[in-house]
Amino acid sequence: MPADRTRRAVLVATAVSLPLLAVSGCKGVGALAAPPSPAPDVAVLRSAIAAEEVMIARYDAVMTRSASLAEGLRPLRAEHRQHLAQLRSRLIVPPGSAAAPPSPSALSPSGPASHGQVPAGQASHGQASHGQAPHGQAPHGQAPHGQAPHGQAPHGQAAHGQVPAGPGSVPSGAAAAIPFLQAAERAAAATLLHQLAAVSPSLAQLMASVAASEATHVAALTAAGGTGQA
Amino acid sequence: MTGTTAQATAAAKVSALQAALRAENAAVYGYGVVGAHLTGTALAAATSDWIAHQVARDSLEAMLRSSGSRPVAAAVAYRLPHPVHTPAAAMLLAVTLEDKVAAAYLGLVALPGAAIRELGARAVIAAAIRAASWRGKTVAFPGFAAGALSPASR
Repeated sequence: MPADRTRRAVLVATAVSLPLLAVSGCKGVGALAAPPSPAPDVAVLRSAIAAEEVMIARYDAVMTRSASLAEGLRPLRAEHRQHLAQLRSRLIVPPGSAAAPPSPSALSPSGPASHGQVPAGQASHGQASHGQAPHGQAPHGQAPHGQAPHGQAPHGQAAHGQVPAGPGSVPSGAAAAIPFLQAAERAAAATLLHQLAAVSPSLAQLMASVAASEATHVAALTAAGGTGQA
Repeated sequence: MTGTTAQATAAAKVSALQAALRAENAAVYGYGVVGAHLTGTALAAATSDWIAHQVARDSLEAMLRSSGSRPVAAAVAYRLPHPVHTPAAAMLLAVTLEDKVAAAYLGLVALPGAAIRELGARAVIAAAIRAASWRGKTVAFPGFAAGALSPASR
């Protein structure tokens, strides 16, 4: 037992110290390279990326549960994947830069290092783990309304029941899934619009285009639902 | 220095507004052609969109005038991107018009200033919704040329 505990202690120590090594090891390179994205862009990009990841997870969940909807939703999910790829391609953070927010792995310090690669929104897949509301993602725009959700929910904490925090809160019925996705699309577009002012011109254009695509999904979802719900 | 920057910013804004106005002028003309080849609900949709572009044109002209600029005039006629003799071709023209309008308003989104960016973005959204309706499907990046933002992987 003592030996086992020692080994565990070593593992923990390794998991903790690895990110530190990575940061300090790259500092020299980062200091030489010009930062490709201004700091506000990085923060907004990260929240936009997290929002797209959650959106894709929602489509995944609905398509898994409602085979009848899957075909109609596939092209819309594909567009979200394009959004995500394009947003990710803009995110080039100099390692160790001050602009880098805490990585997702910071949420689960005891977990394996690979946890850092899992988008926060997918952690709650299958099980609705409300206590584990994804801290990493923007609290704005997760509310299912078109209005600015500022101040509606405590920072970083999803208001349980009200806010579709992740795929865990996806309704099970096909009829409810369409309005749920429509609300999510509207909220995502509204969030992007509210963040336009803070970012560089080219990112603002990309975000406006993504918001426009999401706005068109609202009507497309009605068609995909088939029965013509509003 | 600051004055020069402000002048450059003002000039960029006027230029972007004029570009949006040119696209709206083309759309107003183009929807006249579109509507001439449609009937029923499609005609009603074209008429509604035509009016929306006239309202947007008026709004852009007012913005330009209030900043002391003379709005660009509409052309008497526009060369169509393709022959329009059928309802399908008319709807295709509507898609093209909306795509060009969306692209023009993206120019406003690149300007400094929260208000003008949001105005531009809302216009991109409106054009994208109309385009999707005519196209019968959505696209990932309204306002950008097809393929302009496609990832390296195919």
